Amino acid sequence: MALFEARHIHKRFGDQVVLEDISLAFQEGTMNGIMGPNGAGKTTCFNVLTGRFSPERGSVSFAGADITGLKPREIARRGIARSFQIMNLFDDYSAIENVLIAVPEVREKGFNMVQQLNGGSSAMDKAAEVLRKVGLAGREQENAAALSYGERRALEIAVALAAEPRLLFLDEPTSGLGAEGTARLFDLIAELKESYTIVAIEHDMAFLFGLADRISVIHWGQVIAQGTPDELRANKWVQASNLGKLA
Amino acid sequence: MQQTKAQPTFWITRQMLVLFAVLGTMPLWAESVGLYQYLGVEIVIWMIFALGFNLLLGYTGLPSFGHGAFFGLGAYAFGLVQHELAVSLWLGLLGAVALAAAGGGLVACFLSHRRGIYFALMSIAFGQVFWFVAIKWHAVTGGEDGLLNIPRPAFDFGVGHLALDNNTALFYFVLAVLAVVIIGLWRLVHSPFGKVIQAVKQNEMRTAFVGYNVWLFKWSAFTISAAVAGLAGGLFAMAQESAYPDVMSLHASGFVVMMTLIGGGFVSFWGPVIGAAVFFLARDLLGSMTETWLLWYGLMFMAVVVFKPEGIAGAWQDMVKRRSSGRERGGHAGAALAAQLKR
Amino acid sequence: MDALLNLLPHIINGISLGLLFALIALGFMLIVGVMELINLAHGSLFALGAYAAMLIISPDPAWFGPLGQWYLGLPLTLRYIVGIALAPALVAIVGFGLEFCMRRTYGKDPLYGLLLTFGAAMVLEESIRLFWGSGEQVMPVPQAVSGAFLFGDLIYSRYRFFAAGFAVAVILLVWLFLERTPYGAIIKAGAHDSEMVRALGINLTRLRLYVFGFGASLAAIAGIVMTPIWGLRPHVGVDAVVPAFLIIVLGGVGSFWGAVIAGVLVGLVVGLTGAYASEWSLLSMYLLLIAVVTFRARGLFGKKSMLEA
Repeated sequence: MALFEARHIHKRFGDQVVLEDISLAFQEGTMNGIMGPNGAGKTTCFNVLTGRFSPERGSVSFAGADITGLKPREIARRGIARSFQIMNLFDDYSAIENVLIAVPEVREKGFNMVQQLNGGSSAMDKAAEVLRKVGLAGREQENAAALSYGERRALEIAVALAAEPRLLFLDEPTSGLGAEGTARLFDLIAELKESYTIVAIEHDMAFLFGLADRISVIHWGQVIAQGTPDELRANKWVQASNLGKLA
Repeated sequence: MQQTKAQPTFWITRQMLVLFAVLGTMPLWAESVGLYQYLGVEIVIWMIFALGFNLLLGYTGLPSFGHGAFFGLGAYAFGLVQHELAVSLWLGLLGAVALAAAGGGLVACFLSHRRGIYFALMSIAFGQVFWFVAIKWHAVTGGEDGLLNIPRPAFDFGVGHLALDNNTALFYFVLAVLAVVIIGLWRLVHSPFGKVIQAVKQNEMRTAFVGYNVWLFKWSAFTISAAVAGLAGGLFAMAQESAYPDVMSLHASGFVVMMTLIGGGFVSFWGPVIGAAVFFLARDLLGSMTETWLLWYGLMFMAVVVFKPEGIAGAWQDMVKRRSSGRERGGHAGAALAAQLKR
Repeated sequence: MDALLNLLPHIINGISLGLLFALIALGFMLIVGVMELINLAHGSLFALGAYAAMLIISPDPAWFGPLGQWYLGLPLTLRYIVGIALAPALVAIVGFGLEFCMRRTYGKDPLYGLLLTFGAAMVLEESIRLFWGSGEQVMPVPQAVSGAFLFGDLIYSRYRFFAAGFAVAVILLVWLFLERTPYGAIIKAGAHDSEMVRALGINLTRLRLYVFGFGASLAAIAGIVMTPIWGLRPHVGVDAVVPAFLIIVLGGVGSFWGAVIAGVLVGLVVGLTGAYASEWSLLSMYLLLIAVVTFRARGLFGKKSMLEA
């Protein structure tokens, strides 16, 4: 059984149908890509899957339990973490504080009003480890707002990773990165892929085709094609709609 | 730069000692610089109020324009306990904190899924409701005149007691309460809870996606803040020996916003403390020169909003930063100073 | 049926009060709609308009010597008309000044605009105190609209009806201005999309200046009309600004008729509770707001706006 499964999701805003009968399944331990042109409904799809919006129809299940319509925090606590395309950090916090706040140990102590949140704890070590993993070692004390664009993108992923998720959603991780940044991110995700189940929205085709085990193509709010990168290369639909333009 | 690893693990910091030293000796020098004992009582009470308020404005990012309501609830509760139950300091203050926390908790149920401007407007509406009820419910609140002749119960500590009917004794009592509030809030804002509410302020959506119950954190911050306001209100009723609806008006609620902002509540724990002192000194110094001191204070507030929303503490931090960067690298003394006014 | 007949005067009272509330909210609404700015100085501009009109209607005779004597000899109605025309223009100038101070807050957190206008409200109120004192003032009203008349066996104030009619006229004029003139079209475009306004080659800086001035003068008009009913004291502004934002939040931001309907609704609720518990009548409007907004964050007719952010 798939770790995460969405069945027949429908979502509309007012009169506009954004998602129409979307079904997706992600197996544990795989890297999954979602692609499609701008405005195809990819980000809305993510938002529905991670609880920001609830779908009009359809169901979402994770690890065998129905999570349809749960709130983001409830979904997060079940072990699904996500990053955002438009950066969503705690700008006045240092890099390590950004990560620390997402560490489950800290989360469990959220209503502790007496203890101090500080060094020496295993949470701090975990946070430092996550930062090291995304390549931000040495930048721990820098305010998020003061980091470079590429570093902020890395921190965006680090905050999601800090939650120790079973399933990691990444929304356009390469967005705005140059060739060098993208290459570094490629290595990072290739490494993460070994230990996490990942779903990424991405419009960089080479990037996705090089990493993903399976890819779903969304267009007009529907899944128009699904399969391994090789299958998709052979898919007439995808060829007809011109891969380049899909980006 | 914030040293997360070396964050203050102390209960008491150097800034606290400086503040307590300045305030603690105030009765000795106040009169020689033209001030008077009761002013100190007022300043300290409003410092407590503003510190609690800043938990909401500065730390959780919720601009309440109706916080006078909880200050007033505390004042009325204190007075009613003395009149109807028993003349008791502790029972009175307990009643003040409890009623304000209950009122705050109730209002927070309606406001905790809001933020920004909408929150501000709704908090005005709720503040007006309390103010209106205070004026109209004669039987309990005494209407426009309020509750009069509230006694100042003695400070009873088991083995003995200390009369608080002279202003110097009362001053030391409210100062002791301020010390407890400062230490408690300092601890609170550096606790995991404090870190989460600051995260809510910076990015509510991400906080939810990381797995926190944002509503409950906002509710808790609001309720704690209202309880501290109630404590200050109870002390105020004792100091004034009366409780009246004025303190619940939009004006009074506005004063606490203004003093917190001018002091620098957005960027510093100490902002409200500085702001409350500046407010009352401005009232007495400007007030001795002109009838319309509020006009000048209002203009000052506008100037702060336009040019330096980080307030006095923010200006201080900038100055220190500029000075330390002007020196050679590793200006440790400068950096230490800059850190002093940080959260 | 009897009960309804007994209620009728309260309903009439409520509707007339409601129309006046809508008039009070009008300038506030315009500024929120176009500039996404909560103008907490609205009430003080309202008060300033009334004071200015009072000054124009009956200036100190000593000020202008014989000219003043001649002016005060003119019929009250004429002076009243001069006041109602001139005072809003003066307040608009104050509004321009305020908008100028506001410029540094554009593009920042809207909270700064709110804080700044809160400070401005205080400054204006204190300035009024400085010039006119803290006491209660009375504004003279022309004979034609003062006094009372009998309807059935109840006495109605003639002025209230005049004021309600005046409110309807101003509301309709503003609506026609917004709907039927090119200026109105620009303002409405600005309300929806400041990018579009720029793309159309309209000077956004000037648009904001004019809209703020216009909103301020509408506040002044409301102040002049309300003064004979509410009386005039420096802090009357709070009594005006609170219903104004309450009505906008209740009606929903961005909806002209939503605000008017909300105003009438608030007036009705206040009027009807006044029938049973006159002491508590003003409380009812807050409870109405809280009840509605708890279930419908956008208010009755609102569109999505910055208020929800």
